[in-house]
Amino acid sequence: MENATTPRFSVSDFIATFNQTLEYAYPGIEVEGEVASFKVNQGKYVFFDLKDADGSVSCFMTVWQLRVPVEDGMKVIVTATPKLTVWGKFSLTVRAIRPSGEGSLKKSFELLRAKLEKEGLFALERKRLLPRLPHQVAVVSSVQAAGYADFIKILGDRWGGLELRVAQVQVQGTGASDQIIEALKYFNSREDLPDVIVLIRGGGSADDLSVFNDELLVREIAMSRVPTLVGVGHENDVSLADMVADVRAATPSNAAQILVPDKRELIRNVRRQVGVLLSRMERVIDRQREGMRHHLSTAITAIDRRVDQRERQLAGLMRVLAELDPHKVLARGYALVRGEMKVGTMIEIEKSDILVQAEVHHVNKK
Amino acid sequence: MSTKNNLTIAEKTAKLDELVAWFDTDDFEIERALSIFAEAEKLAHEIEHDLQALKNNIEIVKIRFSETE
Repeated sequence: MENATTPRFSVSDFIATFNQTLEYAYPGIEVEGEVASFKVNQGKYVFFDLKDADGSVSCFMTVWQLRVPVEDGMKVIVTATPKLTVWGKFSLTVRAIRPSGEGSLKKSFELLRAKLEKEGLFALERKRLLPRLPHQVAVVSSVQAAGYADFIKILGDRWGGLELRVAQVQVQGTGASDQIIEALKYFNSREDLPDVIVLIRGGGSADDLSVFNDELLVREIAMSRVPTLVGVGHENDVSLADMVADVRAATPSNAAQILVPDKRELIRNVRRQVGVLLSRMERVIDRQREGMRHHLSTAITAIDRRVDQRERQLAGLMRVLAELDPHKVLARGYALVRGEMKVGTMIEIEKSDILVQAEVHHVNKK
Repeated sequence: MSTKNNLTIAEKTAKLDELVAWFDTDDFEIERALSIFAEAEKLAHEIEHDLQALKNNIEIVKIRFSETE
C-alpha cells in the first residue's frame, strides 16, 4: 500500500524537482574523463560522452563555450551542472572544458595552434614593434603572483617614470581566461590608450598555463589595438598567447628587460661618452703641444745654425786680424821704427822684446 | 617625463649625442671644445641624476574583472 507521505509528481514536475535537487547538491562540479563520440550538430550544439574504465556520462554544451579543440580519446576536465532532460536522459550541461594530462594538453595545443596558424594569427608580418620607451604601461596579471613581483622589481631597477596601470586577474583555473580577456578589452577601450599591454604570469604546471592556450584569449590578444608583450611561465614554456603576442618574453623578468632599457647601462654609456671626450681633448692638446714643440725645436735649430755661421765668420775674421797683429810681425824678427828719418833726429825702434832710442846718422835713398 | 630644464631624458640624451658628435666635425676648435666639453659633462650629470630620481607609479585598476564574467 502506498504511504500517504510518499510524494507524487507529474513527469515534468518530477524532472524539475529532480533538477532543483541536483542543482542544490551540485551547484558546480568538475568531472574528469576521456572524450568519446564527440560531435557538433548544426554548427551550434556539442555532444560527447565522458567515460572512464567503469562508467560513461553524456555531456552537452554549445559551440561558443568550446574554447579549446577537443576530439575523441582526449582526457578532459569539464565544469558542469548535472541535469535530467525532458526526455528523461541524464547528462552533464558543460560550461567549460579543458584538457587534462600532458598528452591531452599537448594534443589540444597542437590542434589549436594549427588552426590559428592557418588563419595567419602568428604571422611575422602581423607583429608590431613595441615603443622604444613606453610611458603608459598596462599590466594584466595577478598581483599576488611571484612573476608579477619579479616584473615590477626588475622594471624599477631598470627604469623610472613609468605610469603602470595594473589589472588584477586570476592567471590560472576556471574563469582566468575570461578575466584576462575582460582586462584586455578594458585597456583597449580606454580613451587614453596605454603604449603597451603586458600580460605576465610566472611558472606553473602545464594545466595552470593552459589558461594561455584558450582560443578566445588568443584571439583577443591578436585583436588588441595596443601592442602586446606576453611573458608566461619559464623559458621553456610556450603558450599560444606567447605566439600571438607582438613580442614574446621568455619570463616576466624578461618582459621587464624587453620593455625598458637599463638606466645603469645608459648611465655607463653617458659616462663613457664624456670619458671619451676627455681623452679626445687630451689627445688634441697633446697634439698641439707636440706641434708647438716641433716649431720651437725648428726655431732653435735655425738659431743655432745662424750662431754657428756667425761664429765661423768671426773665427775667420779673427784669423785675419791675428795675421795683421804687429806684435806677431815683431815676433818674427821685424822692428817697428817711429820718428822722422832725417839725419840728427832721434827715432824709436821697437822690437818684440826691446825698445831702442837711436839717432839717425845716415839716410840714403834706395 | 620632463625633468630638469624641462627636457626629457630622451631629449637630453639626444643633445648629448649632438655635443659628442661635434668633436668629429670640421667645426672643432680647441677653445670651443673646452666649453662644449663642460656642457656635455653637465648634461651627463643631469641625465644620471634624472635617471636615479625617477620612480615608477603603480595604480591597481579598481575593477573586479571576475564580475564581468
